[in-house]
Amino acid sequence: MTAAGRARRLVWLRRAVQTAGLLLFLGLLVATRQRDGAEASPWLQLWFDLDPLVLLGTWLSAHSVAGLSLLALITVAVTLVLGRVFCGWLCPLGTLHNAVSALRRRGAARRAMGRFSPWQRLKLGLLAALLVMALFGVHWLGVLDPFGLFTRSMTTAVLPALDVIVGDGATAIYAADPRLGPFPLTRISEPVYRFFRDHVFHGPGPAFDGAVLVALIFTAALVVNLVRPRFWCRYVCPLGALLGLLSRRAPLRLVQTDACTHCGKCAASCPAAAQPEKPGEWLPGECFGCWNCVAACPVDAVDFAWEPFWRRPRAGSDGVTRRGAIKALAAGLGGLLVLRLPPQARARAYNPALVRPPGARSEREFLQRCVQCGLCMKACPTNALQPTLLEAGLEGLWTPVLVPRLGYCEYECKLCGEVCPTEAIQRLTLAEKKETRIGLAVIDTTRCLPYAYGRSCIVCEEHCPVPEKAIYFVETEVPLRGGGTRVLKQPKVDADRCIGCGICEAKCPFQDRAAIRVTSAGESRHPDNQPILPGAEPLDADPYADPYGG
Amino acid sequence: MIRTTRRSFLKQTAAVGGAALLRPALALGEEPAPPALAVARAGGEKVPDAELGPLARLLTREAMAALGGMERFVGKDDVVWIKPNIGWNRAPELAACTNPDVVAELAALCLAAGAKRVKVGDHPCHKAEQTYRTSGIQAAAEAAGAEVVFLDRSRFREVDLGGKRLEKWALYPEIIEADLVINVPVAKHHGLARATLAMKNYMGIIGGRRNAWHQDLAQCLVDITAYMKPRLCVLDAVRVLTAHGPIGGNPADVKRLDTVAAATDIVALDALGAELLGHRAADIASVRAAEAAGLGTADWRSLPHAEREVS
Repeated sequence: MTAAGRARRLVWLRRAVQTAGLLLFLGLLVATRQRDGAEASPWLQLWFDLDPLVLLGTWLSAHSVAGLSLLALITVAVTLVLGRVFCGWLCPLGTLHNAVSALRRRGAARRAMGRFSPWQRLKLGLLAALLVMALFGVHWLGVLDPFGLFTRSMTTAVLPALDVIVGDGATAIYAADPRLGPFPLTRISEPVYRFFRDHVFHGPGPAFDGAVLVALIFTAALVVNLVRPRFWCRYVCPLGALLGLLSRRAPLRLVQTDACTHCGKCAASCPAAAQPEKPGEWLPGECFGCWNCVAACPVDAVDFAWEPFWRRPRAGSDGVTRRGAIKALAAGLGGLLVLRLPPQARARAYNPALVRPPGARSEREFLQRCVQCGLCMKACPTNALQPTLLEAGLEGLWTPVLVPRLGYCEYECKLCGEVCPTEAIQRLTLAEKKETRIGLAVIDTTRCLPYAYGRSCIVCEEHCPVPEKAIYFVETEVPLRGGGTRVLKQPKVDADRCIGCGICEAKCPFQDRAAIRVTSAGESRHPDNQPILPGAEPLDADPYADPYGG
Repeated sequence: MIRTTRRSFLKQTAAVGGAALLRPALALGEEPAPPALAVARAGGEKVPDAELGPLARLLTREAMAALGGMERFVGKDDVVWIKPNIGWNRAPELAACTNPDVVAELAALCLAAGAKRVKVGDHPCHKAEQTYRTSGIQAAAEAAGAEVVFLDRSRFREVDLGGKRLEKWALYPEIIEADLVINVPVAKHHGLARATLAMKNYMGIIGGRRNAWHQDLAQCLVDITAYMKPRLCVLDAVRVLTAHGPIGGNPADVKRLDTVAAATDIVALDALGAELLGHRAADIASVRAAEAAGLGTADWRSLPHAEREVS
């Protein structure tokens, strides 16, 4: 069989592997959710564990690595031997880019896109800059890491968009109940809706603050494939850049022979602009090892072959210069300094709205690890965890923040720490989690119904999940407008017991701004953010005790 | 112990019906009026916690038999909605949700009485996907042949309640369209209401910003109860929550009463529930208000009732 014939089979095998990789990615993402009692599977973070950029970046910034992330060494080993096949064969985001690239117009324009552009060095510059930042503890890799980007986009934008289509669509059909002749449309829409509710969303569809920005970036990253195939992988992806560096001396190399007729079909089929058409100038750091060029060659002039690693290989140059490297390092330093300027970034201020999930490390250590992937937000059963915009400074872009207006920290749940790929949120036992304070509730007596409007309420007390109740009430005689008084139960917060879960704020009858709100004060992770001396004022045995209680 | 089978029930029905027909002719002194409330309590030695499931089922069966059997309420091919309290993500031992065995037994009784479908569902405070599972109700109800229904927040529909406080409110259509709604609360302490019982359990069929009901809880509960016109309520007092309700969490606040009560009179049932929790019925504002509104009788002892002890 000819080289091209073999390669065509390999291309089909690659497409099958790519599809499997994408499905595995989506499957793991959908499976990242609350399940029966059991702990979350450690395999949910598989893609991050396989990602050497996450491993390297976290090691540089936090000087530690999370357990299974050493799996990334497999990726490193494979890349050292086979080149950037991770990009070409496995990466789910790369596969998606492939699929979108396939929508491009065929023909002459397509051929012209194959040429190498010096701008492809941009990704190396980004990699260098991000690693410099990581070395000084600014872990911004997740903003551009393919799994950070893809997971975050799917979680906060694509799945909610799907809910808009399926959930809102089915509800509209349900309400209007249109018929096609005798056939009610709900007969179709309802089973589809139930399938998504029970097997994709697992409950009411989620929604996320700041999803618009994430969605715009994700859409842009996909659309630019129409300008250049696999634009992201060629120009931007820092993981691709890292794997490209590891690929330079890989023994599996593209060999170009004199049989070449310069027809250009290999270049036209190359998604990476790796110069398969130029003898001796193939770019191993760009090539995805996709075998397209071999399959496309009508005269078998190009093929992959093993070359011993000690022989100095013939390859083209991407033109990286010392000057370029210095510019990238300077950009990294500059970026890191800019991010570190605000007082909050230097631990001189605490943002009251920055309520982190339970188990989150102290802010500096947290930011040294968090890769902004949003798996915790996917896992959170109440949709309480939201991506930050600027609450944690630009440095903490898209890191998780608990927004009690949108959800609360479920008392019996510790899932966010179990799915965090870098242990930015630590794994806690349920007992530990129940004692971890993420904030403190404060009552706004200018809004709270029994204080401000003379009405009974104490919905907050009703919902407080702490077994001995962190919210109690005091019966108070309140003067009424027309004279006379009324006894009302006024809620109070027991600072020794409140863990800041936020269900009080989530359930407060005030929809716009709750009359009880949780701020980050008292959070366990910060010894400085503590306004209250624990237990300084001894409480009555149980201020809540009911005289009629059994 | 007495088992109610369909056969024995038919015999009883025939006897009661016959007696009623004969009554004018024979001028019998006492008409065996069907009870408005029936209580089944466990007597004798306390069974260990591990064997509470079978006991809860037996108590439920007994209470229903004493009330005249499920056939009194369920017709052939009826659709029944069982409305337990599945409000909280808490295990059955913490008595924050209705006992799963009580729910399962009721579902089985409904199916045996000829119901076409038995649906079980609640609009919980915590996430339904968690509470249904943690409470054990999903597994128990499904094993008994019932369908577990998750309520969709977008599918509540505003209906005219015509109440004193509530003119309109969003209710769940699938529930109010059922042929029979069995209201199955667990007896619990509640900070604001002192006790949460059958009337308060209706807060799980409503949507909207229901937390606002706390501002006039008694009247809101009267309005929804009047709209729902309860025909059958079953109170789970196998385990009750005595403090830090309605969510609890501390096993020390849970007390075993090994009691199940069934009633056609929701006010009588709530009055009994209040007593079981150590209150006087008159201390519960919603009981007072409901009686004043003519929804039932708080003095349940004055009604035809049955008390049974099982062991």
